[in-house]
Formats: sequence, structure tokens, C-alpha cells
Amino acid sequence: MTERSWTEIQSLAVRAATGAQVPPAQALAFGAMLARHLADGGSEDPLSAALQAPDGVVTLAHKVETMIEQASLSPRIVTVCEADAGRRALLISWLASLPCQVEITASADKVRARLCLSEPSARARPTRVSIGSALSQQLQDLAARTYVPDSAASRRGGAGAGLMELD
Amino acid sequence: MKDFAPEMLSLRKPVEVMRLARMGAMMPTRLSFLRVLVRRLCAERASIAHTHWDMSPDGFGRAVYSVDLGGHTYSLVAISTDLPVDQRSDRVIATAWDAAFVLFDGIPERSDIDRIALQAPLQEAGRFGPRDLVLSRANKSVRMWDATVGALRNGTQPDPDAIRDIGYLMRTTAVYGNGKFGIADRHLICDRPGLDGPFAAEMLAVYMIRHFTLDLVQHVGGASLDPRLARHLGVGNATGLGMAPFLVTHPVLFNNWVLARETAFARVRACSDLTNTQHNRIAALAERAARHLREWHVPAPDHDAALRALEQDWAAFRPRLEALTGAQPLDTVWRAAENQSISLQELLISLLIEAFPEEVDSLADCMGDPFGPLTTSFAGTDALRRAIEIDWDWALSQDYDAPDACCRFWYVSAAKLEPRLGDRFAEDGAELETPLDIARRVAALHAALPAQDQRVSTFLEDHPEHAHACARVATLARYPYAEIRDNLIAATCRPIDMLRCKLSFFGASKFDPKSDLWTRITLAQGAPLGNELSPEADDWWLPVL
Repeated sequence: MTERSWTEIQSLAVRAATGAQVPPAQALAFGAMLARHLADGGSEDPLSAALQAPDGVVTLAHKVETMIEQASLSPRIVTVCEADAGRRALLISWLASLPCQVEITASADKVRARLCLSEPSARARPTRVSIGSALSQQLQDLAARTYVPDSAASRRGGAGAGLMELD
Repeated sequence: MKDFAPEMLSLRKPVEVMRLARMGAMMPTRLSFLRVLVRRLCAERASIAHTHWDMSPDGFGRAVYSVDLGGHTYSLVAISTDLPVDQRSDRVIATAWDAAFVLFDGIPERSDIDRIALQAPLQEAGRFGPRDLVLSRANKSVRMWDATVGALRNGTQPDPDAIRDIGYLMRTTAVYGNGKFGIADRHLICDRPGLDGPFAAEMLAVYMIRHFTLDLVQHVGGASLDPRLARHLGVGNATGLGMAPFLVTHPVLFNNWVLARETAFARVRACSDLTNTQHNRIAALAERAARHLREWHVPAPDHDAALRALEQDWAAFRPRLEALTGAQPLDTVWRAAENQSISLQELLISLLIEAFPEEVDSLADCMGDPFGPLTTSFAGTDALRRAIEIDWDWALSQDYDAPDACCRFWYVSAAKLEPRLGDRFAEDGAELETPLDIARRVAALHAALPAQDQRVSTFLEDHPEHAHACARVATLARYPYAEIRDNLIAATCRPIDMLRCKLSFFGASKFDPKSDLWTRITLAQGAPLGNELSPEADDWWLPVL
């Protein structure tokens, strides 16, 4: 296990999800979820599995979107079914990572949540987040798929380009 | 701070404010983050003291400075190294610098200093911990450095013209905060008084780096700088594309910056019955702005020509600021400025905000975003379509298949994981495009919406690729200044406009664009020195020498 900042973990996870072909909005949300999940001591196995099946990430994202929509249209407890324990754990972390207040209860195959969309979340974030080497490597490998190799043209455009710094 | 909301006129419309052309003309204000930070230091009558100084006669070694702010102590650990001339580069891909810095939480032990001395010179390749708040590095302006050392060694002072021309002894090429490379996440410090504003820790580091550069040059020169000259030496910065996407990827934060600035301007325009003191203050600031423009020259002919034009326009406009009449004289003068250039308008906004601290300063407390977007879903796809047609009409009016409308693509380079901008038709990598093409995405969402109203979630189940655009529409519906209302992948998009906007919010002055992609600036020029921090010292908008 290594210790990382929250921002490092979240940013890397967004990149990794993008590298796994998850669309942008879902990748952003996945990054926040992954950091929350690890910070709360969640298992790394369902995270790793999700990155290997990006359609599952999109499905999870859609479940959360649907819950937010239901809460937007009529404030009440919203319920979603998720039989798989790993994905259910991710769903809970996903809800817990939202910027708004969320009260979550889970049962054998359901997750219930009361979302207060106009109230900010008060969930604390830790000083460091621990991540295992296998998941960390998986994230880095997927993230690397999103980087573009340097070219002469790109180097010409950056700060400092074309000057010797003797001014 | 007032405990009531001052009167204000209506805010300017986002479609007027959030345009690249206007962003590219913005000026620093008293709400700029460095200004707010220094004002706080002044209010607390803080003083910067070096607690460790182990420097060779030539200025290589270690130094530690500490300052108390908001009940906490922060320390700048500075590592100065002997950098071969051929390694001195402003590029983010550089691997060695004249000096490296860490802003440390508390007072570092010897072991902390030793650790930082090993890691800080490595910068992005180093590893940092939760007590390291900011990581930075800087290169000397060799011309200014040598001239200053030479003058001090000869028992004289550096040439004021050189100080006006260059403005700094060292130039930072990156100032990293918020969790990068293991340093502390912002959420760990964002509740602390003084560090609660945007980029406050980074600004504190910059201000202390400036203090260090002044100490170091006097150490090497063996004599003291005239405080009047020292005050005019800030910290330079070279900023490239890497900074631009931040404004797109942090829409709520960006909204809050602009909203605070626009609220300040609306409050000031509502002022009536100006006192003689206020009349005199405005006239004095107008004169200072004129002098600042006279002293602001840049090498690029086109940018210098624009500055000279602004200088002339300002000279012609200034009499209006000396004859303020009517019920709301500042709104009247603004109406007159609406026929002037955008550059003059932005200068005037900055000046008017400067003149009214009582109406403005408390707004600095509203410029952060501790929560993220608190949005709700649309009732259905018809409501989503209406929102797009109201707020995004500017995005719908373009043909994104036209080469000029989609020429650029933003991406992250493999070399240093930095944002870059490519030519879609001439370079590889467009398939890995970073989703900053917000306008194009919203137009595509609009085109894909079904004729028959349905739940947005139902639509997104079949079209998950539109969720990003959908989220941006929801965000803009609540945060009106959250989006740059221009096509960021058009051939005409100039990232320098985004940089100018962001840097003006930081408090930068003396913008010195080197291309459409990067610029040099000066920070903290004119700011009170480390032993001058008192409330009356908060008067360094557009400094002159």
C-alpha cells in the first residue's frame, strides 16, 4: 500500500476511467467515487473489476443520475436495486462522493438514499488515501492510454518556448 | 466589513462578460487573490522572519522564512543552487532551476529541511507530504540579478529603468498546490483563516519567494537595496497552456470569481453622492493608471502597440473621471466607457473597484468553491432543450464541422502530463482529445434531443456520451458565469486570453505575451515588503516607480 493525496488519487482515477473508454461525465464522477471508496476503507476488488468492464461504470453512473433526477423532481427517499455486492459497495461510495448531502442505507440488494441536492456534503476527507500497488498500476496503465506523445509542434507552443532565459 | 448588502445595479450579462476577447483584457483588482492575501497579512501586521540561513557568499544554500497568519505558522523553505547557464529554461519540461521552494505547514525541523532540500529541486519527480503545502521553483532574471548585485557591490543602487523594464529578480515557472506530487490537499487547509480564499497558499508562497529573492540579492551584493526600489521588484512568472483548462474544469469556482468581481462592479456603479475624498481618490488612481501604462512596455510589437493605444485612449478618457456628476456618476462614466475599447473598459472596472474598498472587500469571502456543483436535474428533455436555447444560443450558432470551428484539440502530453493544444488537421492525437469542447458538445446534445419529451435519465441511458454536456447545461443554469461563451476549439481561440483572465484574478500585472500560448507576468510588484505589512500599506494597485 502507498499513501497518496486525495487529489492525486481522484485525478488519476478520472484519467484511468477515460483510458478505459468511460465517457467524460461518468469518468469525472468515477474519480470522485474511487477516492471516496478508498478513503472509507472500501475493497479495491470492485474498483478493479469496474475498470475492466467500463459499461458497468456507465450503468452505475446512470443509476446515480436516475436517483438524482428522482430527488430533483420530488424530494423523497429514492431506491435502486443492485444485487452484486461489489457494485453495491461502489454505488454507496458513488452516492457518498456527491457534492450534496446524502443519507444512505443499504440492504441485501437495495440502496436507499435521501438526497438534499441544495445542501453541501459535510463528509470529511482524510489527510492521505491508501492504495494498493495492483490497483495503482492498473490506474496508471489505463491513464497512460490518454496521453499524447510529444511532438515538435507541441513543444513549440509551451511556456518558455523559443527563448534562452538570460533576460 | 459591512453587515448589510450595499445597493447595487444589475449585474452585467454573462454573454457580455464571459467572452475570450474581454477575458484577454482583464486587469488585477483588489479582489485578486494575491492582493487579498497581502491585505490579510497587512491587517494582522504580520512579519516575515528568517529562521534558518545557510547561504554561501555567492548565494547558494538553504534558507527558511516563517510567518504567522490566521493563528498558524507557515514557513518557506528555499533551496538555491548553482545552475549552469545552458540549463536555465522556463519550459515546464525543464529539469533544473536556480531555486526550489516548499511552503511548509509550521516550522520545519532540521530533518524536514533536509528532506525538502533533497526533494524540492526534483520538483515533479520528487515526493512530498501533507505538511508540504506548495511546491515551486524559479529562475533568475540574469540581467536584473547581475545588474542589482553589481550595483550593490559598487556601493550604488540598480538602475530604476531596469527595474521598471524587468520588474523582478526571479521568475517562477510553476507553483503547485492542492495535492500535486503528494503535497497537502486543499481541503486540509481551506478552513484556515487567511488560507480560505482561492489559491491563498500559493499566493503566500509567491509573496515569501519575493521576500527571499530580495534577501538573497542583498546577501550576494553585500549591501541594502533602497526600499523604494525593492518594493518595485516583484516575482516574475512564465505561464503557459497548462493553466488554461482550469477555467473550464472548475466551472463553479470560476463562476464565483467572476460573480464576486461583477457584484463589486455593480455595487460601485450604484454609488451616489461621492465625497471629496472619493473624487480625489479616483483622480489619483486614474493618474497612477496613466503612469503605469507609460511604464508598461513589452517586446512583442503587436502587444506593445495595443498598450500604446490604450495609453492614448486612457489619456483622452481621464477627464471624465475628474468631472463625475449626476445621481450615479460612476454608472454614468461606465455608460460613456461602453463606446470605448474593451481594454479601456477593463482598466476602468479595475480602477472603480479599487476606489471603493468598503463596498468591495467583503466579497473576497465568496470567491471559493468548497462544495462543487449543487445542481438539480431538468424535468425532462423539453426543459433541457429550453435551457440550452436560452443559455447556449451562442454555442448553437456554429457549424462545428467547418475546419475553422474545430481546428484545435486540447490534450495532455505524455512528456510531463501537461495540457497542450494541437491542430486537428496537422497533428496526431485528436482521438485522445480532452473534453474542453463544451460548446460543440452542447450543440451535439441539443441536436440529439428527442422530439417527444422524456426523462433526461431515459435519454442518457441511450446516449451516455451526452451526460457531460447535460451536466454543463445544469451547472450553467445555476451558476451564470460558469462558462466561457466562446468555441474553445476554433482556429481563432487564443489561450492567452484564458491565461490573462486567470492571472488577473491571481493579481498579475505587466502582462508580457510571448505568443498566443504563453505569457510572462509580474506578481507582487509594488507590494509592501516583509517588514512593512500594516493596513495602510494596502495600496499597490498598478504600481509605478
